[in-house]
Amino acid sequence: MHPYVQERLSLNYELAISYLTNRLRKYIEYAGAKGGVVGISGGIDSSVTSFILARAIGINRSFFLLMPSDSTPKRDIEHAIEILNILGVKENWKLINIDEIVDKFKKVLDENDKRITGNIKARVRMILLYSFAQRFNYLVIGTGDKSELLLGYFTKYGDGGVDVLPIGDLYKTQVRSLGKYLGVPEEIVKKPPSPALWEGQTAEGEIGVDYETIDSILYLRFEEFRETKEISEMLGVSEDVVNRIDKMVRSSQHKRSLPEIFRVSKRAINSDLRYPREWFYL
Amino acid sequence: MVLSITLAQIESKIGDVQYNLKKHLMVLDNNDSDFIVFPELSLTGYILKDLVFEVHKKAEKAVEEISMSYNKSTIIIGTIHEVRKGIFRNSAAIIIDGKINYISKYYLPTYGLFEEKRYFQPGDPKRELRIFNYKNVNFGVIICEDAWHPEPLEALARLGADLILIPSASPIRGLGKIIEIERQWSSLLVAHAIMNTVWIAFSNMVGNQEEEYFWGGSRIITPNGIEALIGKKLEEDIIKGNIDLEENKRARYFSGFKDHLNVFHEILKDL
Repeated sequence: MHPYVQERLSLNYELAISYLTNRLRKYIEYAGAKGGVVGISGGIDSSVTSFILARAIGINRSFFLLMPSDSTPKRDIEHAIEILNILGVKENWKLINIDEIVDKFKKVLDENDKRITGNIKARVRMILLYSFAQRFNYLVIGTGDKSELLLGYFTKYGDGGVDVLPIGDLYKTQVRSLGKYLGVPEEIVKKPPSPALWEGQTAEGEIGVDYETIDSILYLRFEEFRETKEISEMLGVSEDVVNRIDKMVRSSQHKRSLPEIFRVSKRAINSDLRYPREWFYL
Repeated sequence: MVLSITLAQIESKIGDVQYNLKKHLMVLDNNDSDFIVFPELSLTGYILKDLVFEVHKKAEKAVEEISMSYNKSTIIIGTIHEVRKGIFRNSAAIIIDGKINYISKYYLPTYGLFEEKRYFQPGDPKRELRIFNYKNVNFGVIICEDAWHPEPLEALARLGADLILIPSASPIRGLGKIIEIERQWSSLLVAHAIMNTVWIAFSNMVGNQEEEYFWGGSRIITPNGIEALIGKKLEEDIIKGNIDLEENKRARYFSGFKDHLNVFHEILKDL
């Protein structure tokens, strides 16, 4: 990673961890929920989120759901179980293979396209997470990081359908280094991030550059408002790569927004009805 | 002349004036400091959005309730003041011996996460900028963003204030190796104190409100620019310290504060 970006994205780990855990604990308390449920894939994001959740409210008030499918590498399941072992989770977890449910959708829809069925997988997982959350009066703790959220590298109402995103303002590379600090096994920290919606899918493979480069471009473009040419020269990547990342962010804005409502009244819901979430307790 | 000061770094709940009032009363009970300073919008919470329209009345009542019960200190409370029907100001109630005065924020941040101009009218320094006196100490009050400009603090100092109280609501931005916004605030406050040879008491909000988190770290800075007391970060704290006007005197012996070329302000007037 370019030293200029590296310097700006480096973290005081203890401060970051106490900040995030403190916030997550309060968020759950303020919502009146009893705990949190998180879907764990064996990847870095869900591992770090699980560590933070466990530190925030303890493993007795956390529930961990493993939801592999036919495209989930066996190693990922092993990694997820390793995380549970490290956290000392003995009872509050469940493994549900989603193939049966996804196959049903495929059959009813007569659909085999890998992207469509991939999104179905993500949405099936969302439904399962919310079912457990409702059963226990828990919140669904999302695992998305800033890089994925900005790129739109998530399924709308799938892994994007959550109650809160504790690591959503940390880039992937920051999540990795935080994971390393927290004691996430190196194999998990180092393996290429993958939504595993189809076999062999990796984020970096699809986008064409590694996360060090992606994060640097995202940071320089959207936090420092730098031009394509400047970023390209600074990082030694082609302008095409910078533009591609830029386009992914712009074209996925709809995924990060609530559905647009066409204005009719004097006070429309999205634009004028502006209340904090805390409105509910007043 | 030594006076005591308490910075009440409390965690207010958005829009829950009753809850926040109780927090204020808990601090005020059994506190005999000369000055007790709460953060900006301490009675209402900061990220109010449209709740401004719902909570202002309760907040004004709460200020009255406090003023009737406590008349032994100077108390600074962050609140909303309705200056005429439907016109609101982000204000500080300055309660001296039970009597309520208001000052308003002059610079309303409306950038990034801030949207104060949507809801508040700025104060008019020409009509409102003033200093107060308590136990022979001249002091002035400005709110948060006003400390990000040189003039409000300078004007109070030149009007005679030896102590500037700054109720604030500063959310975390730039959490990296350090909290970047803390570094900036620290630099600003130290510079203001040195340039104006005044004591500064910065009382910052703490805790969670919507997506933001107020970082606390309230502090007292000497007229020499030393951060004499710094409160806890990210959690509630009650910080108690003293100010000694002899420090203002000593700082001014070797400072350029006595010099003021108001011609610069004449130039600024036309810019």
